[in-house]
Amino acid sequence: MVPVRLFVTDPNLSSQALHMTVLLLVAIVVAIAVAAFLVGRQRALTMASGNVRQLHSLPNYYGWHAALMASIPALILLVGWLVVQPFVLESRTLAFLPEAVTSDPVARKLTMADVRRVAGGLDVAVRAGALTEQQASMIRTELTDVRSRLASVGVALGSAVSSETLRAAQFYRAAALSGSTLRNVLTLIVAVGGLGYAFWATKPAFRARNRVEAFVKGLLIASASIAILTTVGIVWSMVAESLNFFWQYPAADFFFGLTWNPQFRGGSELGFLPLLWGTLYISFVSMIVAVPLGLFTAIYLAEYASPKVRAWVKPLIEVIAGIPTVVFGLFALVTVGPMLRDYFAQPLGLGNSGSSVMTAGLVIGILNIPFISSLADDIINAVPQAMRDGSYGLGATKSETVKQVILPAALPGIMGAVILAASRAIGETMIVTMGAGAAAKLSLNPFEAMTTMTVKIVGQLTGDTDFAAPETLVAFALGITLFVITLGLNVLALIIVRKYREQYE
Amino acid sequence: MNDMTQSNVDVGAAKVKMQAEGVQVYYGTTHALKDVSVNILDKVATAFIGPSGCGKSTFLRCLNRMNDTVASARVEGKITLEGQDIYDPKVDSVQLRAVVGMVFQKPNPFPKSIYDNVAYGPRIHGRTSSKAELDEIVETSLRKAALWNEAKDRLSAPGTGLSGGQQQRLCIARAIATNPQVLLMDEPCSALDPIATAQVEELIDELRHQFSVVIVTHSMQQAARVSQKTAFFHLGNLVEYGDTDQIFTNPRDPRTESYISGRIG
Amino acid sequence: MTDISAQPMPSQSAAASIMVGSKGMKKRHAAEARFKAYGVVAIVFSLGVLAFMLFTIFSDGISAFRQAQLTFPVTIDAAVVDPTGTRDRDTMAKVTTFSYAKVLNNSIVAALLAKGIPQEKVSDKELGEMVSKSAPAQVRNMVLADPSLVGETVTISVFANGRIDGYFKGRVTRDTASRDSNVSPAQLDLADTLRDAGILSLGWNSRFLTNSDSSDLRPETAGLGVAILGSLYLMFLVLVICVPIGVAASIYLEEFAPKNRWTDIIEVNISNLAAVPSIVFGILGLALFINFAGLPQSSAMVGALVISLMTLPTIIIASRSSIRAVPPSIRDAALGVGASKMQTVFHHVLPLAAPGILTGTILGLASALGETAPLLLIGMVAFVDNYPGAPIAGFFDPATALPVQVYSWASRSDPAFLERSSGAIIVLLVFLVIMNVTAIILRRKFERRW
Repeated sequence: MVPVRLFVTDPNLSSQALHMTVLLLVAIVVAIAVAAFLVGRQRALTMASGNVRQLHSLPNYYGWHAALMASIPALILLVGWLVVQPFVLESRTLAFLPEAVTSDPVARKLTMADVRRVAGGLDVAVRAGALTEQQASMIRTELTDVRSRLASVGVALGSAVSSETLRAAQFYRAAALSGSTLRNVLTLIVAVGGLGYAFWATKPAFRARNRVEAFVKGLLIASASIAILTTVGIVWSMVAESLNFFWQYPAADFFFGLTWNPQFRGGSELGFLPLLWGTLYISFVSMIVAVPLGLFTAIYLAEYASPKVRAWVKPLIEVIAGIPTVVFGLFALVTVGPMLRDYFAQPLGLGNSGSSVMTAGLVIGILNIPFISSLADDIINAVPQAMRDGSYGLGATKSETVKQVILPAALPGIMGAVILAASRAIGETMIVTMGAGAAAKLSLNPFEAMTTMTVKIVGQLTGDTDFAAPETLVAFALGITLFVITLGLNVLALIIVRKYREQYE
Repeated sequence: MNDMTQSNVDVGAAKVKMQAEGVQVYYGTTHALKDVSVNILDKVATAFIGPSGCGKSTFLRCLNRMNDTVASARVEGKITLEGQDIYDPKVDSVQLRAVVGMVFQKPNPFPKSIYDNVAYGPRIHGRTSSKAELDEIVETSLRKAALWNEAKDRLSAPGTGLSGGQQQRLCIARAIATNPQVLLMDEPCSALDPIATAQVEELIDELRHQFSVVIVTHSMQQAARVSQKTAFFHLGNLVEYGDTDQIFTNPRDPRTESYISGRIG
Repeated sequence: MTDISAQPMPSQSAAASIMVGSKGMKKRHAAEARFKAYGVVAIVFSLGVLAFMLFTIFSDGISAFRQAQLTFPVTIDAAVVDPTGTRDRDTMAKVTTFSYAKVLNNSIVAALLAKGIPQEKVSDKELGEMVSKSAPAQVRNMVLADPSLVGETVTISVFANGRIDGYFKGRVTRDTASRDSNVSPAQLDLADTLRDAGILSLGWNSRFLTNSDSSDLRPETAGLGVAILGSLYLMFLVLVICVPIGVAASIYLEEFAPKNRWTDIIEVNISNLAAVPSIVFGILGLALFINFAGLPQSSAMVGALVISLMTLPTIIIASRSSIRAVPPSIRDAALGVGASKMQTVFHHVLPLAAPGILTGTILGLASALGETAPLLLIGMVAFVDNYPGAPIAGFFDPATALPVQVYSWASRSDPAFLERSSGAIIVLLVFLVIMNVTAIILRRKFERRW
């Protein structure tokens, strides 16, 4: 069976309707919670016959307790249902599809997308009045041209709908509808039940405050744990798709391949080394720019500048860090690239490209100056004044003191700052996307356009994407490689900086 | 303004090495040192005593222009070294500090090897032309600072690995290595234990045979032990300056007497 | 124990040795001056590049706020726009912009005749092409909104074609026009004449801030409206998502967290997330929110979720430091009168830390406003020419954002879009300046009360 291909630009018609009913449901639950607050508070006051001192907690805590009991279990149920329902639906819908489809993960994914589309299309058709509810669940491909019926209400399908798909879609639609109805009813029952429980539990001796505070604490812990969930999410989202990629494309060819040449019709060469080379070359150029400039800026601000000069110059330097990278990208594209081409590359016979390693490296370097200078400034200031005094007391000049006492003492910290800056340069996206070029090359000429991992991630994941093709999935493999590299550098820098801090504590 | 009670200044035939006349120091708007005049004698240990915040350290830092490194500090008056005004624009403060060396309150060895710490001064001042010469200066300085026997086997070990007392002697050796003519010591024993203090005090007594030693101390006993001349500072004023014996046995100013007998401070 | 030997060096006069210019010192002071100069050079270079960059962007972009406009009397020919003569809106809506283009074309030819301007080198068709391709739609909308205009002659202002606009801004010259299929040197000559005649003028272009994006062929009508609204939606959602979670996480970590493994893991995660490249968050958003959760692509909601996860570490770090700055004595005082730990935190610590949290939040939002890379991956770079709807449903509509608009205009081939890209940066920077200045003012106002 040829899977029905869909137009990527089509909006997901049914999802918006789904969001709206869910939002409405949430609004009702919130309204119940507000009512519960008032009921719970009033109940507490009544139980204490208006004497607040007889209550364990302030009346509001009883209100809060009731509101939480009414809303939280209901919302948990709702969220759980929303997560689980699609999986249940999918597994039950698969029964309607031929064995050939269900056994192949790629075909299964595509067919399920079609099923959802057709089901959504039927929804739209019913709403638009092109089909009655009855017709929608009864029509058969053998009798009706479903594609043209749906097209008449503005739902575009790429090819004719097979009878299995239609049958599955009709089942899917019916199951989704009854699932949603059951969900709504259950959610409301749980909300009202929570209210009832809170009403029953409210007695003067009931420790409402402790309950509410325990809940708030749980909320605080959950908020703090989002950082962990984010990391898990990052790793999960990339590992799953990367494995999918390596299943289709050998890992050895990816990591050691010397050619990057994606093709639309398969037979792509997706060698990682040219991208790694471009990334490292550009980062290297940027460090050549950023390290001396940032370091000398920090030294001047920490050791030479009068407080007045420092108060002006330090924030001005930090303005550079506050400017969005896309602005630097445009600067690279419009100004720096053509300037380097006209004044260096062409006269030296090194190329005719505005986009180049030099362009991107130079601009990333400038972006990283404030980063290095402010970190180095902190580190230099952390060197004890006694070191400076000791050196001046022996008749050293300032520069001798800086070079021979302060910098050696601050070296580990500065190394940490430099590593962090390198990690930022490697992960920088907009400047390289706009200034480095798109050609994956292994060349030494810094005036030649090269490309980086981040450019290719953007390139492979924007525009028309097919999440079954290795040409798209390779972006996830690049992403996880980038993540591992930058994470390694960050951890290394943190260890070095922490060691350095301990030295003076 | 000058309410100092001046006693007989000369100790034997010692000549005047440094001379301060009407020195005023301001930190921003604070008048930290008021009209101080004093003579520092050659090859004599002079002690500056007084309660904390009295200006003794401030004055010490004027003698090698360390106050230059404090942006808000302003120094008025005249300080001469062998008759040359050290605040004269023609004077190079960097060179001055090589001649008037300094040892600080807390031992502050550089995060380098013991050898490099001592060699630091001679190197930056370009005093040596060969490794052998530098080795000799390092050894001599460490010997003079009574650290040679303890350090000779580990000259390449970091200076920060020494004990507190050893670190302070290392700092003294580092100061001696530039061959100073005056050595200023700002409470050099305040961070040390009694045994290390005794060693440093003994060292000071040896060193003052070669050059002037000026020591700021909060300990009157220490001043009595190591110095021949003593200056008593109080609230930014130099109250009394004279032979150490005389200051401690027969102070002329009632404030000095109060301080020595423990009533103020 | 002390070995006192003879001085190794000949003792020279102290007074002489401290003088300026003594041997060896010249070199050392030169090295000192050189070293200091490196610092000055580094700072001057950095700030110089910053100034140069801002200068180029402003000089390129400021012209986006001015646009060549043609002002002339247009006769709304009833025979063309309302062939049935019913003045009925629905029937008139059947008339396409193609017909209105004819109306405009006729009117401008008439306007030239009336002013006595010769146009022998430029055909009527070429003359019509000097008007923006958006003009017919503009007139059509005007007429459909007010059918009484049919048959009348009204003086209206329409945009000139992007090439004509470029000519007045120096982007297009006669030399480039001779190689350009979209404009001819003769049209440029005529543009000069029209300018002298007062028909063509370069005026303030407020539509740059309100129009939506437009296709490659009509850069003159491209505007930032959708991007500004999209960015406002994004900022609002990021605020709503980030502040409660960020503050809650900070309170937990500062006030409640026990010293255990879980807390350590959280701490390590927060500091690492702060340094994860932004593009990685884009991949997360694509995989998690779009492919897995099925949220609509290009929507402000998905953008906000991704940017929130990125901004969270910044806000947590800022909030924690301002919570930490509240002195323990205040906590002791509250606990001492019998408040629970939770009451202490919410009644005393949090209000005192609020200004610091607010400042940190504004600064975090300012950096979030400029984020571009993750938004590209979740599809916000797609061409969006419809305004997203009103909240809350509008949060799920396709939208774009200011920095993304900068990028997508910069990638178009027509240099007219580069001007607009720089213009978008000016708007973006104005927002950033406002946010940063607000943060600075707040910080000054609420600086340490204890």
